[in-house]
Amino acid sequence: MVHSSSGPEIGAPPATGAREPGIFRGAAPAFPAGTVKLAATKPITLVLARELALAALLLVGVSFVVFVILYLSPGDPFSVLLEGQISNHAARAGLREALGVPRTWYVQYLSWLGNLLQGNFGTSIRTGLPVFGEIARVALSTLYLTLGSMLVTLLIAVPIALHSSVRGTTALNWLLTMLAYVVSALPVFWLGYVAVYVIIHQFGVFPLTARIAASSERTWPFSLLPIFVLGIGNGTVSEVVRHLREEMSRVMGEDYIRTARAKGASVWRHAFKEGLLIPMTEIIASKIPFILGGAVIVEQVFNWPGMGRMAWQAAQDRDFPVIMGIAMIAATLVRLGSLLQRVVYVAVNPRASNERRGAAWAE
Amino acid sequence: MKRYSQTTGEVGESSDLSPWKTADALDLVYVGYGLLIVVLVLVSYVLGAFTWLPYDPEQIRVDLLNAPPGSAGHLLGTDFLGRDILSRLIVGIQAYFLPGLLAIVISLLLGTTLGALAGYRSGEVETLVTYFNNLVDSFPRLVLILLVIAAFKPGIYYIMVVVGVTGVPAVASLIAGKIEFLAQKNFIEAAHVLGLPSRVILLKHILWHHCMPLLVIQATIGMGEAILIETSLSYLGFGVQEPTPSWGNMVQAGANYFFQGKFWPSTAPALSILFTILGFHLLGDGLNGILEGSAGK
Repeated sequence: MVHSSSGPEIGAPPATGAREPGIFRGAAPAFPAGTVKLAATKPITLVLARELALAALLLVGVSFVVFVILYLSPGDPFSVLLEGQISNHAARAGLREALGVPRTWYVQYLSWLGNLLQGNFGTSIRTGLPVFGEIARVALSTLYLTLGSMLVTLLIAVPIALHSSVRGTTALNWLLTMLAYVVSALPVFWLGYVAVYVIIHQFGVFPLTARIAASSERTWPFSLLPIFVLGIGNGTVSEVVRHLREEMSRVMGEDYIRTARAKGASVWRHAFKEGLLIPMTEIIASKIPFILGGAVIVEQVFNWPGMGRMAWQAAQDRDFPVIMGIAMIAATLVRLGSLLQRVVYVAVNPRASNERRGAAWAE
Repeated sequence: MKRYSQTTGEVGESSDLSPWKTADALDLVYVGYGLLIVVLVLVSYVLGAFTWLPYDPEQIRVDLLNAPPGSAGHLLGTDFLGRDILSRLIVGIQAYFLPGLLAIVISLLLGTTLGALAGYRSGEVETLVTYFNNLVDSFPRLVLILLVIAAFKPGIYYIMVVVGVTGVPAVASLIAGKIEFLAQKNFIEAAHVLGLPSRVILLKHILWHHCMPLLVIQATIGMGEAILIETSLSYLGFGVQEPTPSWGNMVQAGANYFFQGKFWPSTAPALSILFTILGFHLLGDGLNGILEGSAGK
């Protein structure tokens, strides 16, 4: 192989061949002979441990970003707390000293992180209650909302994707795909009003807060409405359809499916894992942030007492501890989602435990 | 321009036909609709910037509250203060147009740089970029924006910087994947053999000739997302404030009258959001089908 002699930055000839620049990767032998079989039997627990460690590392990164945003903000929570109470600058500094607020940023960060790890997210500036308890109180209703709406999204997207990947483009599934596009572009807040209006006209009443409805025997179906609205209007339907259809079509064209069909085995059973299960977990894991973001709006529309509404309130009041806590919890949920996706992926495809993780997102 | 493809069992050149000539009819329809929306948005932006409007968007008419479309010369009716909806819709484009462009520029520039680094140099750089991508992807975008709003009370341009940064991972991973794919190709190896400097190969042969369509597609998708974010924030009360119109705060203001059966004041901006975002999505997907599909990604 001939290399360009272009300088050190990119494409420099590998000195020993130990680490080659990406540009020549294609020329390197893919597997050193004889090592493949051995490496493939790496136990799943080891993979799981590595993924857990990575998730933990990412969450430390998330906490650092959150801290930096807070640190750079003009009024820190402390001065917000003292606003209008002590105007003297020296007196404030003295109070800081007396309360033991650390001076340097890294000590502040480490002590904050230490508190986080013990579940101490601080107290809300507005209500004076511990943030963790406040979030825990409403987290369940947000989980109920987001998980439910994910299910709704899948219930809409999977049939469309399967139908069009098996049957090819017909008038019906063109119409359905188009509908998925339109639905994905719908502003979810307006969709919420339409849904409420239709319900009022259909039933004459609508309980103003959906969660109160859930507690009453007669009106509990109303609490499903926000779930459907978020499931339809979270803007991910068309992407889910496209991803599932592409993956399913690809798998349907694979040799092993042809073999299965030729010998009369169930095509569906052979295609399920690679064609549906893996793409489904992939797309759901990557869409969790969008659905959580959509929850902020839907909770606002429906007066749904969840984390999204709390985040909105906290942003209004500049209630730092609350919004920081919510950001951390939301990021944890996102990481849990992709952890779950990796577990499913490795469980279904044992070869994957051998793969470098970085390769996963480059596909 | 010749396209080179190298799939298993076949080495050589594929068709010399322009991808536009072999394109799927449906993709052409998508692109046509998307371009129509882009032109409409551009024209309306210019109209709004020079205030060439049918009515003053902030002129209050007490005798014409929530008028239906077509009444008294108001093509799209009036809102709850009797202000002309069409004029407000046109001016509302100001709220997202330039901020959206800023978000796109940031995600494309930063995303291409990181993607090129990750794709062209493996090892630690790639690991770092992957870590950065996963880190940014860990935040729900709206929650991160609310956090920034709580911390800085920033203007829309600063918010769009955050939106731009959150768009980086998508661009970076696409570019990295594309570069890894291209790096195995004969023409890149040939360029190396000919002794071309790596930066020429990277900038000209890879990014300019083969990643342009990808970047255009990402730009259209990014604009759709920026519109969604801006309208959502204005709806939530963090973006553009009354009386300055934005499509989001128009939906919000009209919502109070929605349940009285006066749908129009909030439906008009909602449909504008719908058709505009749909246009950008379809434009992106159509271009993707035409330009990337035939290149055998």
